[in-house]
Amino acid sequence: MTIGEAAERRFPTVADRGMATPRTGPTRDLQRTLQLILATIWLLDAVLQIQPFMFTPGSSGFSGMLKGLAPGNPSWVAHTITWNGSVIYHQPVLTNTLFALVQFVIGFGIVWNKSLKPALALSIVWALGVWWFGEGSGGVFHGAATPFGGGPGGVLFYAILAVLLWPSDGSIRPFVAARTVGLTAARAIWVGIWSLLALLSVIGSGRSPRALHDLVAGMDHGQPGWLAHIDRVSESFFLHHGTPAAVLLAIVCVIVAAGVFLPPQGAQVTLVLAIAVFAVIWVAVQNFGGILAGGATDPNSGPLVIVLALMYWPLTTSEAGPVGPGSNGNRIVKEV
Amino acid sequence: MGTPAWLYYLFGLLMLAVSGYSVTLLVFSVTGRHHFGRDVDIAHICMGVSMAGMFVARWAFGPSAAWEFIFAALLIWFVVRSLKSIQRFGLHKPHEAIHAAMSFAMLLMYLYPVGATSRVSGTMSMAMARGGAKLDPGLGFILAVTFFASAVFTLASPVKGVSHHGSHAFAYATTVAVGATGSADAWSGSPQHDSPHVGGLEGVVTTPWLEDASHVVMCFAMGFMLILML
Repeated sequence: MTIGEAAERRFPTVADRGMATPRTGPTRDLQRTLQLILATIWLLDAVLQIQPFMFTPGSSGFSGMLKGLAPGNPSWVAHTITWNGSVIYHQPVLTNTLFALVQFVIGFGIVWNKSLKPALALSIVWALGVWWFGEGSGGVFHGAATPFGGGPGGVLFYAILAVLLWPSDGSIRPFVAARTVGLTAARAIWVGIWSLLALLSVIGSGRSPRALHDLVAGMDHGQPGWLAHIDRVSESFFLHHGTPAAVLLAIVCVIVAAGVFLPPQGAQVTLVLAIAVFAVIWVAVQNFGGILAGGATDPNSGPLVIVLALMYWPLTTSEAGPVGPGSNGNRIVKEV
Repeated sequence: MGTPAWLYYLFGLLMLAVSGYSVTLLVFSVTGRHHFGRDVDIAHICMGVSMAGMFVARWAFGPSAAWEFIFAALLIWFVVRSLKSIQRFGLHKPHEAIHAAMSFAMLLMYLYPVGATSRVSGTMSMAMARGGAKLDPGLGFILAVTFFASAVFTLASPVKGVSHHGSHAFAYATTVAVGATGSADAWSGSPQHDSPHVGGLEGVVTTPWLEDASHVVMCFAMGFMLILML
């Protein structure tokens, strides 16, 4: 069959108009789409890594930012962070270029099917390393890991997403996350994550109105006017209702954790709740990770939690049976 | 100390490479009487040359107003094409939308260059800087993420060349048709346009994955520039 014949068979109007109707090619499966969203976030991180201030030594640069994360941590944790800061201080161009390259490799690696697994594996190792050396362990060791601020560390979610998005030919029912690790393990991971978030919401400085106020106040420098205005509202809200807000967030996290055991419609409600809450937190508290102020290395936990929630969105398929090897997982997916 | 100069030179050279490649595509398009993608080629030529001048000040030329006029015209062209596509094929994401967004971003870079000049020094200077208001960082961020996503999804697409010719082009239709009856992946790496029988140098230059690569490079450079302007 010639190409023209093939086109005419599929698009009868092509030969007449030289154009095809806007039909798409093979349907990309949802797991692959989420992998590509993760790749996009990694590449955003890579570009953020080559901002001018990242190459600047001293307190106004990347090394200074890292060293600022050490205080408050146990000495053995703080020492590793200051050591990392010192290495970057002495070789800012070399280290920063290397860091950016690793993130480019991860992002592009996820894009290509052949390098997908090594890239995801590298992303897990890299994320854990950055969590320890670059995020001060997310503040977990000094009680400042509130989910409002990205606790237990936004970069940890990269590792979790990499595990749950590991390529597999299994069925994506009842949700994408179950394909790789199985339904029981996926549910256990979900419950574990949201239970931890609930716990971190109400321990340490997470429930302190002043600490929550300062969390936002520390972010508002250099933000655009409209976001600074939102920050002022958030600061005032936390100062007056910080503890109830922390308790409410913990309750929401518990509800979301339980949602994975509900029937599809109920699960969807809890997922929408999770997505809405973390979208608000991402904007009004995390300030998009500080990216708009020009001094961020990643978008913080907000978008990653949202991607995680999408991986648990209940699905059904129009085709019976699991996806077989060689099918590329391409199948029409529709919501319940 | 900020971003090392070689990084800006690297991006500048990549932009010139995309421009040069697009000129070649345009020449083959005119001489071979292929009609799809000429507007994208022209847009990439203008974007590549002007962005090279943004990354390396010495390479900048032409008055700002002229570039603003060019990118405003490209923006209008791609918006109109997008609307016509929707009118013709119903509600969908037109292929031209991403090129409209890129033209819009270029226009913003000339209208609001102060963000880059205030924080970036050395090689990169945004020579056309003239002060004034700063681009809203929220808008810049949304556009940057859009371009990164476009780059990623273009690279991952099993159907190559769509970034250049659009999903309504004959080449795309034939690719999908072949994919439906055979293997889209197998076909996607070979040269194809509205005329599928292309060989020689033209066949190499017009390889769909190469066309996609130029789009990806352009997306990244533009996203990086917008991040610098935050």
